Parts: sequence; structure tokens; C-alpha cells
Amino acid sequence: MVATAGSLEMRSVTKRYSVDGSPLVALDDVSLAVEPGEFLAIVGASGCGKSTILRLFAGLDAKHDGAVLHDGAPIVGPSLQRGLVFQEPRLFPWLPVERNVLAALRNSHLDAHARRSAVRDHIALVGLQGFERAYPHQLSGGMAQRVAIARGLVNRPDVLLLDEPLGALDALTRAHLQDELQRIWVRERTTMVLVTHDVDEAVYLADRVVVMSPRPGRIRDIVPVTLPRPRDRGDEALLRLRAHLLRTLAGTPQHAGLALHRAA
Amino acid sequence: MATISVPDRPTRARGIQFAPPVRLIGIGLLVPLLGLAAWTVGARQGWVPPQILPAPQVVWDTFLELWQSGDLLANTLISLQRVLFGFAAGASLGLLLGTAMGLSRPFEAYASVLFTSLAQVPALGWIPLAMLLVGIGESLKLIIVAVGTLVPVAWNTRAGIRAVPSGWFEAASLWRYSRAQVVWHIVLPATVPQIFVGLRYGLGHAWLALVVVELLASSEGLGYLLVWGRQMFQLDVVIATMAVIGAIGFALDAALAAIERRLQRWQVASP
Ligand SMILES: Nc1ncnc2c1ncn2[C@@H]1O[C@H](COP(=O)(O)OP(=O)(O)O)[C@@H](O)[C@H]1O
Ligand SMILES: [Mg+2]
Repeated sequence: MVATAGSLEMRSVTKRYSVDGSPLVALDDVSLAVEPGEFLAIVGASGCGKSTILRLFAGLDAKHDGAVLHDGAPIVGPSLQRGLVFQEPRLFPWLPVERNVLAALRNSHLDAHARRSAVRDHIALVGLQGFERAYPHQLSGGMAQRVAIARGLVNRPDVLLLDEPLGALDALTRAHLQDELQRIWVRERTTMVLVTHDVDEAVYLADRVVVMSPRPGRIRDIVPVTLPRPRDRGDEALLRLRAHLLRTLAGTPQHAGLALHRAA
Repeated sequence: MATISVPDRPTRARGIQFAPPVRLIGIGLLVPLLGLAAWTVGARQGWVPPQILPAPQVVWDTFLELWQSGDLLANTLISLQRVLFGFAAGASLGLLLGTAMGLSRPFEAYASVLFTSLAQVPALGWIPLAMLLVGIGESLKLIIVAVGTLVPVAWNTRAGIRAVPSGWFEAASLWRYSRAQVVWHIVLPATVPQIFVGLRYGLGHAWLALVVVELLASSEGLGYLLVWGRQMFQLDVVIATMAVIGAIGFALDAALAAIERRLQRWQVASP
């Protein structure tokens, strides 16, 4: 199955915030095109505008210069066709897992029966069968983030935007969920844009890796990763790409030490 | 083909503790029992004259007498009815007011100074004004009880709404929730714990205020029974009535706590 919808584009987008009265350029003339069905990763030091890009694509922030497009149409607000997963799972503690996922379908065009089966399917997709009735406080961090991913996908969006979704997890759980994400992407072919601090995660999962530099937020480099999937984390070519990316990141003005530290 | 993965283990065991364990209730009874023992011994030894502090046995007999005559039950029912009606009215108004202030910045801008200053006046402080306005009939009791309830309910509802994490609103806008959906499906459930704090405070205040109003201006109710007992120099009646007032206040709070636990089974009970 080849996806035909799900392209995203930014043309000369500049986004300014004002912090205590003084202007702050979060994105400076950024242009970026995401192909339908592509897995794009964005890396860069914190504060370089990665979340801002996702928020603009999600339609959470309408004030900007330049054009932000989904399948060629301007993005003016949120849409069920674009899912967003945050770093924190943002589950509702008063609802069990299945109803947390159902909450994302409140304004879906599906009827009640179709909603129930969509919820069931997506809980299975993230490997949480048997936990439908569990409450968030009974879940580990990794499980909660799986629920968040199921929520992001349950509307069957053309595009899934992921903002450091695995950033808060321990290394083992993170590696495990990276595999899950890859499996889901291979199966669903949803366009995915993944923001991450983790260069290894980026090269392991993505078709292309966007490297950003901060103050002002700009795209510094876009590195294609052409290796076939499933990928081997120890692959020579992957390790070379990783080294290249880390060098590029190290050349960015600030916070470069963070990326190097992670590689060590 | 990837294998189906096993979810990592839950961090917390499934067993949720529900407070309060029996052991703690037992500890809570220790002090009252010691007091009762001291009272018994004191009365038997004649440390205080029986006209001032009648022996526990006398109080108990009086309690049974009051019960059998139907006086106690009738007055209790009147007080309970008053507190429940006043509480219902005050809680509904408080919820409305607190919700409006929590949800609407403009409304809060209009209401907050007035509300905050009026909230500084204790419910009992309203008695003189209310007496002038409505006399000493049933509406006086309702008004005072309602005021005592309204303030903490409105206050806590507003605070609870303000404390709803903004991340949930963002998620809701991604799913294109309408304002009504946000209020009903997110703000309300997220605020329930804090609303219950307000309701429990409110009911406590309401009961207290009612007894005082009945002391001052009533010919029925438990507060009136206190006055009557004092006027007749029947301290046994006074003490028996005080015990009933305390027990009912305790039971009202326990009832709300039980409802709260039922509504919030999802919450990890705090130790
Ligand atoms: N709502 C906001 N108001 C003011 N400044 C903001 C806001 N959101 C982000 N910024 C600023 O914009 C810059 C980019 O932020 P962000 O996109 O969150 O970076 P990243 O996700 O790469 O860490 C940062 O300097 C940040 O402080
Ligand atoms: Mg960010």
C-alpha cells in the first residue's frame, strides 16, 4: 500500500516570539518539504525551533510568515488528519487506557462501533492488549507513551508528528519503542516527522535527517539515510552517518556539547 | 516480520490502598475514650458539681429519653433538612460562580474583587444583615447555610479549573474539541478532586453555621435544643445534643468522603 496523501511543506517560514518584550526568532526563513509516507527526523540543540516546526505543522500556531501546507493546502488550524504526540503522554488520569484513546475520536466521523474497533486495533498496534482497562497511574512511562502513540494514530491521520516522544524513557524501553515505531511505520506508511535529541534514534528510523542550528532557528543540513529496513543498529554505514551528523551538530553554535556527550 | 512485543511491566502494583485503614480509625478513637474515662472518674469522685458536669451515665439516660420522646429525632430532622437544602443551594451557586470565574477571564475580572472581599466575611457575619432583610424564619437559616457553603465551593472550583494543565487543552484542540467538550470532558473531571475539597469544607461550614443560627434565632432544631437545655439548666441535655451535633457533622463529612472515593477510583490513594 503506497500512501498518496500526507505531504507537508514549509516555504520561507519565519516564526517570531516575543519574550519579555524583546523579539525572539524561533524559525528564520525555513523551507522544508516532507514527502508522503516519508519518515523524517529533526535533530538539533534545544531551543533551535524543532517543536515550533511541529506546532506549525499541527496547526497549533497560526501566526507566522511564509506558507505552511498539507497536501498543498494552507494549514490554518488543527486537523484530525495530523496527529501529534508530545514528550509527556498527556493521558487523562481519570480514564482507563481504552477511553483515553477513545478521547481522540470524540469528533471523528466514525460511528460508535467503528470507534470501538479503531480503539481496539490501535491498542493492539502499540502492543497493549490486556491493558485496556488499566488506569494511567498503573502504567510505566513506556506504556503510557504507547497509549499516547495510539492516540496520535487512532484517527488514521495522513501525518504523525512526534515531539521527542521517547525522550523521557530509559535506554532499553526507548530502543524497544523505536522498533515498535518502525514496525508501525512500515505497516501504516503514515508520514512521520520525529523530533529527537538522539542522533542514533534519528539515523535508525528516518529516511532523511534534518539538522538544525539555534538562534535563530535554521536548517543547517539535510542528510538522507538510504539503508534498507529493518536496520541494524551496529551497521557500518549507519555508524558513519551518525558520526557525520554528530560532527555537523558539533559545528552548530550552541549546546553542541550536549550532542557529543550523548554520543560518548 | 517484527514480533509482537510484550509491554514493559507496570511500575506500580495493581493493589491500590484505600484510606483510611481500620488501624488509624482505632487510634483516632483513643483520645475520646480517654476523655470519657476521665469524665467518668471525675463525676464519680465529685470533682465538679453534677449541675455543671453531669456524669456520662446521666447524659446517656437523657439521650435515650430524648430519643424515645421523639424530641431528638424531630429536631435532628429539622436541622438536617435545613442543612441539606441550604447546602444544595449554596453548592450549586458556588459551582456556577467558581466555574464562571475559572473559565472566563473577563467574568473573573468583574467578579473577583467583590467575591474575594465578601469571602472574607464569615457566614455568621451575614446573620445580622440577613435578619434585617428576611427576618428570623426559615429563609434566614437557608441563606446563612448557603453562604457558608458557597464561598469554599466557588473558591476551590475556580482554583481547580485554573490548575488544569495546559497540555490537555492543547491535546483537546488537536482533536478539535468544542468549548463545551473541553469543559465537560476535561475541565470537569480534572477539577473534581478540588471541587470535593470545596464541598467538604462547605458542608462543614454549613453545619457549623446552621447550629449557630439555631442558637440565635430558632424554635426548633439541634441548636435550639442546646439553648433550651441551658435555659432549663439541664446540662445533660446540652451535652447529649452536643454529642449528636458532633456525630452528625462527622457522618456528613464521611458521606462526602465516601462519594468522593467512589468518583475517584482512578486516583492513587494518598497514604
Ligand atoms: N510560546 C513561546 N513563547 C515564547 N518563546 C517561545 C515559545 N515557544 C518557544 N519559544 C522559544 O522559541 C525557541 C524555539 O523553541 P522550540 O521550538 O520549543 O525549541 P526546541 O523544540 O528545538 O527545543 C526557543 O528559544 C524557545 O524559548
Ligand atoms: Mg522541543
